[in-house]
Amino acid sequence: MEPSSQPQPAMGVAAGGSQVYPASAYPPAATVAPPAVASAGLQSVQPFPANPAHMSAQHQIVYQQAQQFHQQLQQQQQQQLQQFWVERMTEIEATADFRNHNLPLARIKKIMKADEDVRMISAEAPVVFAKACEIFILELTLRSWMHTEENKRRTLQKNDIAAAITRTDIYDFLVDIVPRDEMKDDGIGLPRPGLPPMGAPADAYPYYYMPQQQVPGPGMVYGAQQGHPVTYLWQDPQEQQEQAPEEQQSLHERD
Amino acid sequence: MKNRKGYGHQGHLLSPVGSPLSDNESGAAAAAGGGGCGSSVGYCGGGGGESPAKEQDRFLPIANVSRIMKRSLPANAKISKEAKETVQECVSEFISFVTGEASDKCQREKRKTINGDDLLWAMTTLGFEAYVAPLKSYLNRYREAEGEKAAVLGGGARHGEGGGAADDAGPLAAGGGAGDGVDRAGHDDDAHVGLMMGASSVGFGSGGGAAPSYYAAASRKAYGAGEGSKVMEFEGEEENGGVQRGRGFASHLHGAVQW
Repeated sequence: MEPSSQPQPAMGVAAGGSQVYPASAYPPAATVAPPAVASAGLQSVQPFPANPAHMSAQHQIVYQQAQQFHQQLQQQQQQQLQQFWVERMTEIEATADFRNHNLPLARIKKIMKADEDVRMISAEAPVVFAKACEIFILELTLRSWMHTEENKRRTLQKNDIAAAITRTDIYDFLVDIVPRDEMKDDGIGLPRPGLPPMGAPADAYPYYYMPQQQVPGPGMVYGAQQGHPVTYLWQDPQEQQEQAPEEQQSLHERD
Repeated sequence: MKNRKGYGHQGHLLSPVGSPLSDNESGAAAAAGGGGCGSSVGYCGGGGGESPAKEQDRFLPIANVSRIMKRSLPANAKISKEAKETVQECVSEFISFVTGEASDKCQREKRKTINGDDLLWAMTTLGFEAYVAPLKSYLNRYREAEGEKAAVLGGGARHGEGGGAADDAGPLAAGGGAGDGVDRAGHDDDAHVGLMMGASSVGFGSGGGAAPSYYAAASRKAYGAGEGSKVMEFEGEEENGGVQRGRGFASHLHGAVQW
């Protein structure tokens, strides 16, 4: 878990940096800007202090605060992921019916068979994949949502998924699925080389408000509660083995 | 033509059955044969109704994917359609990624069938260690559930009698069961063109997938006909078959035995 979480800090910093400093091509400006902006936001002090010692002290304070905020955010996200895995194990241990799956086994088998080297598949393989894909979707969505929240949005978008893919090592095999444009929009690639050292102070500002305004815990709990009725809803069509309800739902989704 | 293909697969099954039933690999091979037969015939059935190259078949249904995504988000969260489609692609890529790794392992070990443990190993190799603990628990409990089901069905008196009479024709009975499923699926397809097509495909896929497990269980107990009955039982349940359909299956089994 730790290796997978390490990429997050760098990316988070880069993303924050790009948001505050669009003109990342000018390092000198970036060098000066952080203290000014941070000072204006955090303390009622002159925007451009002339005293070098004072500036240095201010910079240190800002840097420490930035580190604290970043660590808090990272801890929150790690807690979310830990809770995620606890929920997965609990959910699986509660499973009593192995006939109804949230994903169609026939389709999974067809995807597996798309590989010409694959000859024979045991009965249990699609069953294992049905559960594995469910976990995969849940984790990818959770990591993507973290990025949505960082940008203060309520709609999960393609670039959020792109960000999650970029930040998480185990998703490297998905890089080709998300075009470069999505990454550019997110501003991850460009500022990364130049801004890491200065990214921390700037990053603190947007992150500072998120924990105060949004509480991940209750959100996750609510999500978990929501999961139960949804699963129940799916069971009905599955039992009837009818394609019609699924198609209707699909059309409804499009509407 | 479907029957001929089924027969070919049955011929393939004869060899592993000849080996000692106590050998686990033999059972696995037999199960593999059953799976192959089901898969092949199922594909033919599906081909009759829809184009195999259909774009949509490369992804899992967007409704299912969307529903699972929402379980991971707050109630007031929204998901753009682009995001749903992107996750659809990511999941298919995940399946292909893990399957490819598992397939390579099977080839190195001269095995033809990808099983659950191969998938778990592949996930570990590819960095998805966190998935293995919950999935191993799930797989073990699934195997227990399947084992219980086979035991219960195998215990039936009528099945017992049939088993005694058709010990040598075990594989044939299994093949007959699969073939009958295909024919019935085709019939349903004709009756309900658009709606039942998917249902038949899904139902048969499940049935075909289940066959190898049943066969493996049956071979361990030397209960060929019982295995055939189990397949039909499963098929009936999948299609919500009533008493009449069950009788039809039984009759067909009798026909298979005569072969």
